[in-house]
Amino acid sequence: MYSRPLPHARTLRTAGTGAVVAVAVAACGGASSGGGTAGASGSSRHAVVTISEADGCQVSATSFRAGALTFDITNKDANAVTEVELEANGRIVGEKENLPAGFTGSFSVNVDGGSYELVCPGAKPDSVAITVTGKAASSAGTVADLLRQGAKEYAGYVNDQATELVEAAETLRDAIKSGNLTDAQTAYDKARPFYEKIEPVAESFTAGKVNLDADIDAREGDVPAAQWQGFHRIEKGLFADQSVEGLSTYAAGLVANTKTLRKLTVGLTFQPYEIANGAQELLDEVAASKITGEEERYSHIDLVDIENNDEGAEQAFAALRPGLTKIDSQLTATIAARFAALDALIETYRTGDNPSGFVYYGDLTKADKRKLAAAVKAVQEPLSKVASKVAQV
Amino acid sequence: MRAEDVRPSRRQFVTSALGAAGVLVAGGAGGVAIGRAADGGSSSQVGGTIPFYGPYQAGIATPAQDRLAFAAFDLTSSNRHEVALLLGKWAAAAARMTQGDLIGAVTDAPQAPPIDTGEALGLGPAQLTITVGFGPSVFDSRYGLAGKRPAALADIPPLPGDALRAGISNGDIGVQACSNDPQVAFHAIRNFARLARGTAVMRWSQLGFGRTSSTSTSQETPRNLMGFKDGTNNIKAEATADFDKFVWVGSETDQPWMRGGSYVVTRRIRMLIESWDTDFLADQENVFGRLKNSGAPLGGKTEFEPVDLVARHPDGTPVIPADAHIRLASPHAHGGKKILRRGYSFTDGIDPDTGLLDAGLFFIAYQKDPREQFVPIQRLLGGSDSLNEYIRHTSSALFAVPRGLSGPGDWWGKELFG
Repeated sequence: MYSRPLPHARTLRTAGTGAVVAVAVAACGGASSGGGTAGASGSSRHAVVTISEADGCQVSATSFRAGALTFDITNKDANAVTEVELEANGRIVGEKENLPAGFTGSFSVNVDGGSYELVCPGAKPDSVAITVTGKAASSAGTVADLLRQGAKEYAGYVNDQATELVEAAETLRDAIKSGNLTDAQTAYDKARPFYEKIEPVAESFTAGKVNLDADIDAREGDVPAAQWQGFHRIEKGLFADQSVEGLSTYAAGLVANTKTLRKLTVGLTFQPYEIANGAQELLDEVAASKITGEEERYSHIDLVDIENNDEGAEQAFAALRPGLTKIDSQLTATIAARFAALDALIETYRTGDNPSGFVYYGDLTKADKRKLAAAVKAVQEPLSKVASKVAQV
Repeated sequence: MRAEDVRPSRRQFVTSALGAAGVLVAGGAGGVAIGRAADGGSSSQVGGTIPFYGPYQAGIATPAQDRLAFAAFDLTSSNRHEVALLLGKWAAAAARMTQGDLIGAVTDAPQAPPIDTGEALGLGPAQLTITVGFGPSVFDSRYGLAGKRPAALADIPPLPGDALRAGISNGDIGVQACSNDPQVAFHAIRNFARLARGTAVMRWSQLGFGRTSSTSTSQETPRNLMGFKDGTNNIKAEATADFDKFVWVGSETDQPWMRGGSYVVTRRIRMLIESWDTDFLADQENVFGRLKNSGAPLGGKTEFEPVDLVARHPDGTPVIPADAHIRLASPHAHGGKKILRRGYSFTDGIDPDTGLLDAGLFFIAYQKDPREQFVPIQRLLGGSDSLNEYIRHTSSALFAVPRGLSGPGDWWGKELFG
């Protein structure tokens, strides 16, 4: 669906109240990769964190030797607190969420020498300065490295999809030109997925008069009738009018616009938080226009769009996953599990009876739609926390 | 900037519930509330906080606030720990919201969605209470809790006059949010739903725009949408003996975790308002057994005078008809048994099929044992009450409402999911 461009966040989270300057931001999570040095505060590599209404954020020791370190946390009675983070220079290097009053939990990080801040947002006081000395044994890579690598891979994925989109649009154009309605309908079904996987990227190319997303994907009524073109104009001809009549111009235009998109995606780079927001937007697409049947109002292949929005969002998540899991392994696992549940639910609507491979929107019951919407929301809620966690300083 | 730097506590807008009756906070609910406050009832002020922690959950004996947001949730996670976490998060969020604070920490992280949705900022707690109960379905095979199901939490049997819709009935967890500000009540339910995502989904919800019960002697009896004062002889907060006898679960329970709790029955009772509006006054009064304007029982002069159920007209017919609502709902008709009614008027717009108003009473009743109280009472009413011509019970739900929370760190259902 045509919508507003990617809302880039303007400012990033800044460090806490204390003016903490990290010596080196090379923290990398994962207790398993711990080095051999012992903690300065004793033989234990565990720090005990207690959060309370009366005393705020308290930790059993504040200086440690570099290496693996586990924080064992108890939220005694602080109703405002639900998570604990370890930050270096305002960036989260490890954290534990889901810690309401009365619950316990832990998280592990592999910390290099430097100044850190243990933050319990909502507590009073809400932070404790932590000093780490020495150097951690090297590991597979820093969180920043992993995120950077993931962003690079995601850029490649976007470029691949854009390339496939051009080819699918060309096939659609040729089918329309040859006058075979059934072939053209099938070609439409097959072209949609590539766009639906990367739609937020197209949305981000909106400047002045150029609105690639609208040119490719506007629905009837989204733009003035005289300007309406793209996928859904073609969809109306093929599925509502059941004719290829007059569609050649639109098909040629679609090919041209997808080529523009492909060109723009070459060499494009992404910030990790942009990828996270893009994934969220893809799921918003599902929740806002697919689950209501508004997107594919003539072909009724909304489930194809849903599957590919989901796929695109999951690919974006996969790109961030290696870095994200070092920051918050539990959140990462939760998102992965919820994606898996959504995938499994979508799979139940697959059928060989329809050319698109899925049941038509009209065959969904109210209960089906509610279930799908709930499964999407179940991914979105934890996913909405990712952007702030992977934001680079 | 962290929480302590900004911390836009809603408390600053709040006046004490015990303050002078004339002092009303900004954003009040308008003339009705002001009028009641002027009656001198401390409980009917718009603002103020109701203590969240205590032996009993707030929202039961609390003098009924003006607005309701109710929701039933179904658990979608089969993982006990996830359910426990949800209940823990709800308890912490409720503790804060009821005291006028935003839920969770306030941060200005631009890349993260705000923890609190924000629409109650600046409104004050407006006597918000949040009351949570567990439906019979929680005790099925999913969480291994079959052995913890109280006998009193027996499914409500089909009753005469039922026209129940499954989609808006029952549920694993019921949440009642009451406040004198409708947006404050809605905010509570909305944030509960948000905290639940991935663990529970909202099954149905109901807004109530005006209380229909008085649960304190300091409150006037409000009128229902039929224009009558119904519930004059409701259990009042001041009658603690009645609470012990009819509302609070005591040592008689088969489930110790229910001690200090109660059972709530909700029924969405649609009124056939257009039909009622064409009924003549004397018949309307005979249906209820009260005078429409004064609220006095038929044959009487003032609202609170005792109802004379034996008085007869000279021709021998009873002054209060045999099928009058007041007679059939009276404790005399039920061996002295009472229930605490805490209902709200609702409207959900119009019936799309008929264009008739879809409005009525969202009936809420708290009691010690529904098998002994709501069920027999409704069986009699549903079978004989002349009011039945004008009402339809379109939903039904039952929840076991556990004891109040002892303090921060305690949460609903700790004995079940802990």
